[in-house]
Amino acid sequence: MAYPASYSDKRLLIIDDMPDMRSTLRSQVASLAIEKVGVAGNIRDAIEQLKKTRFDIILCDYYLGGGTDGQQFLEFLRSTNMISRATLFIMVTAETGYEGVITAAECLPDDYLIKPFTADTLHSRFERLLEKKARLAAIDKLQDQGRWQEMIVACDEIIAAKDKYLIDAMRIKGNALVMSGQFEAARDFYQQALALRPMPWAKLGLARALRSIGAGDEAKALLADIIADSPSFLSAYDMLGRIHLEEGRSEEALKVLDSACNVSPNSLARHRSIAGIAEDAADFGRVEQALSIVVRKTRNSPLRNSADYAKLGNALAEIGETGKAVAVLEEAKTSFKESGDVRLLAAVEAVTQQKAGNPALAQQALERALAGGTAALPAATALAIAKACLANDRQDEALALFKDVIQNNPEATAVHGRVSSILKQHGSEELSRQLIESSIKEIIRLNNSAVEKAKAGEFAVASQMLTAAAARLPDNLQIVANAAYCLLLDVFMNGLDAAKLREAQLLQQAVVGKNSRHPKLADISDLMVKIQAKYRPAASA
Amino acid sequence: MSFPEIAALTIHDVKNRLAELAGKAERRGDKDTVRTALEAAATLTQLLAFYKSENGILTPNVDAHAPADLVDELAHEAGGMGGIAIETDCGAAPTLAFYDETLVRMVLANALQNAMRHARSRIMISVGERSGQVEFCVRDDGPGYPASVLADGGYAAAVTREGTGLGLRLAKRIARLHESAGVRGDVALANQDGAVFALRLPR
Repeated sequence: MAYPASYSDKRLLIIDDMPDMRSTLRSQVASLAIEKVGVAGNIRDAIEQLKKTRFDIILCDYYLGGGTDGQQFLEFLRSTNMISRATLFIMVTAETGYEGVITAAECLPDDYLIKPFTADTLHSRFERLLEKKARLAAIDKLQDQGRWQEMIVACDEIIAAKDKYLIDAMRIKGNALVMSGQFEAARDFYQQALALRPMPWAKLGLARALRSIGAGDEAKALLADIIADSPSFLSAYDMLGRIHLEEGRSEEALKVLDSACNVSPNSLARHRSIAGIAEDAADFGRVEQALSIVVRKTRNSPLRNSADYAKLGNALAEIGETGKAVAVLEEAKTSFKESGDVRLLAAVEAVTQQKAGNPALAQQALERALAGGTAALPAATALAIAKACLANDRQDEALALFKDVIQNNPEATAVHGRVSSILKQHGSEELSRQLIESSIKEIIRLNNSAVEKAKAGEFAVASQMLTAAAARLPDNLQIVANAAYCLLLDVFMNGLDAAKLREAQLLQQAVVGKNSRHPKLADISDLMVKIQAKYRPAASA
Repeated sequence: MSFPEIAALTIHDVKNRLAELAGKAERRGDKDTVRTALEAAATLTQLLAFYKSENGILTPNVDAHAPADLVDELAHEAGGMGGIAIETDCGAAPTLAFYDETLVRMVLANALQNAMRHARSRIMISVGERSGQVEFCVRDDGPGYPASVLADGGYAAAVTREGTGLGLRLAKRIARLHESAGVRGDVALANQDGAVFALRLPR
């Protein structure tokens, strides 16, 4: 049989732990005239090859041995952006059923192949999937760049064509509407999609849109409905859990996530969410339970994560198991010599050793945690180091770290809660109140004076103040969103400037990435639409 | 470990060995062995799916698919294996239909396997619309279904030297699992210049 020559330039990676299957797959793809083939017997090998080469197709067996399955590996690849949307990921399974577990769309393989299969099957499946990738390539690219407005236009073209990619385009468009903050439009769009057929993804999208416009109760009812109809739709549990948590019902949230874990006991992501919620609820026994599973499943695997070890060590120390905590942190030390958040681990160790009665070791660990300065640290790391400073009688350094964290997250009451609970353990509840108040006041003053400049028509000055602050405080979404808005005002009033437009888009994307429901996003996307209308067709280039 | 757990692991193991066997046969161009190994493996897949349906844990993952693509794919694969001419007719196919593709593929592959066993010279796979439903048909030019199978709609399909009736039973169950706005899918068997297997799914 003749296969299209276009295959010869495709790069394909085979991942299977069984040597016989590897050679079978290898000879099958060779018969399709695919010559650039990588073969990996385990995920460590696969990761090495993925770092070096961009593959077009990945054929991955579900069973990978060593405690990792193909789904976990795919979640890892997507969450670390190790593969782009352009790469086809095909899961090879022994029977139907894995596809019954539906996670977030971005963590689904492009297709499943049930083995055994022939080279002919492989061929027709590749054809079909590559045709689809080609049809959606332009949209995928826009999505990788977060260019939502253009994506929506591109999706509308496919939707109007009513070809076999109609539903794919609808799914992508709905997501783009939500990501660009057009929640009312998203709600209406999903309702139209549901009139076509009650598809679970459209229900989930509608729940997401409803939640974003403040209709939390409607969203919850819809999510409960999805779970009743499609018990394997894990994304619904995740969202329901998050809503419960936001509404301060951590017990409810944990219950929902527990039931998701029953559906998919192997999902690391689910155990990690449980640990995250339990940690905020100061339920350290639960944190220990969930993360022990994650650490056991990922031990010696490239999927291991230093944050899991740090949180597990912290939880063990909190419940008085200092011996076990020290052991976990010692293991992490050898396991994460070069990679991982070693400073976070050191900070947890500094607290744990102090509790275990080893002040000298605690001191050493704290020095390691502080080495390299404290600028631009992730909030979790900064808070852990601040906690370690307090445990080792270095209050001034702790307070400076707290201030940074608060100014970076002035609206995040959860973060403030963490600051308070750490200070409370050290008997300084009043201090935490003052600290939070004064740090927030300082950043509000900066924001207000920029807004005044903008009102006076000095858009360039205002956007400069705000973009500088946004660079210093990347998690302060009010500052970042205002910086984006101010840049756009400048463009709208004073003329098209590609660089400013691009910077505004990047800032908008940063806000969406951290909180797709930020209230300023609607203003930003409205203004973008106005700018596009004003400068069309130049702005769409 | 319970019997179902042991059985599931055993099925998995046997399927892996069949895959190995099929792989080796394919490399030396032995199409008959490839076909037999694939059919045996497909039977095991069906057995497991049947067990799941028996226990109410076979939930279809319904999504939008292009039925013409599925028909072409099945014809292409089967055409590479037997000496029988396989034709397709997707002229009246809807662009998209909603179903679990893995399960529907399993049902149709089984129907096709049966047709290949009984056809004299040709098989036709088609998809179209029929009173608001999507209808997949597999027709052969063989002797047709025995009267006993037609009489009870295939529910008590006889255990013969050629099969256990598992495929037909499972096909019915999978069809019924597809439901939309109160309409459920179904399987219809008929004789019309040969056997006609029809899988109807709600749109």
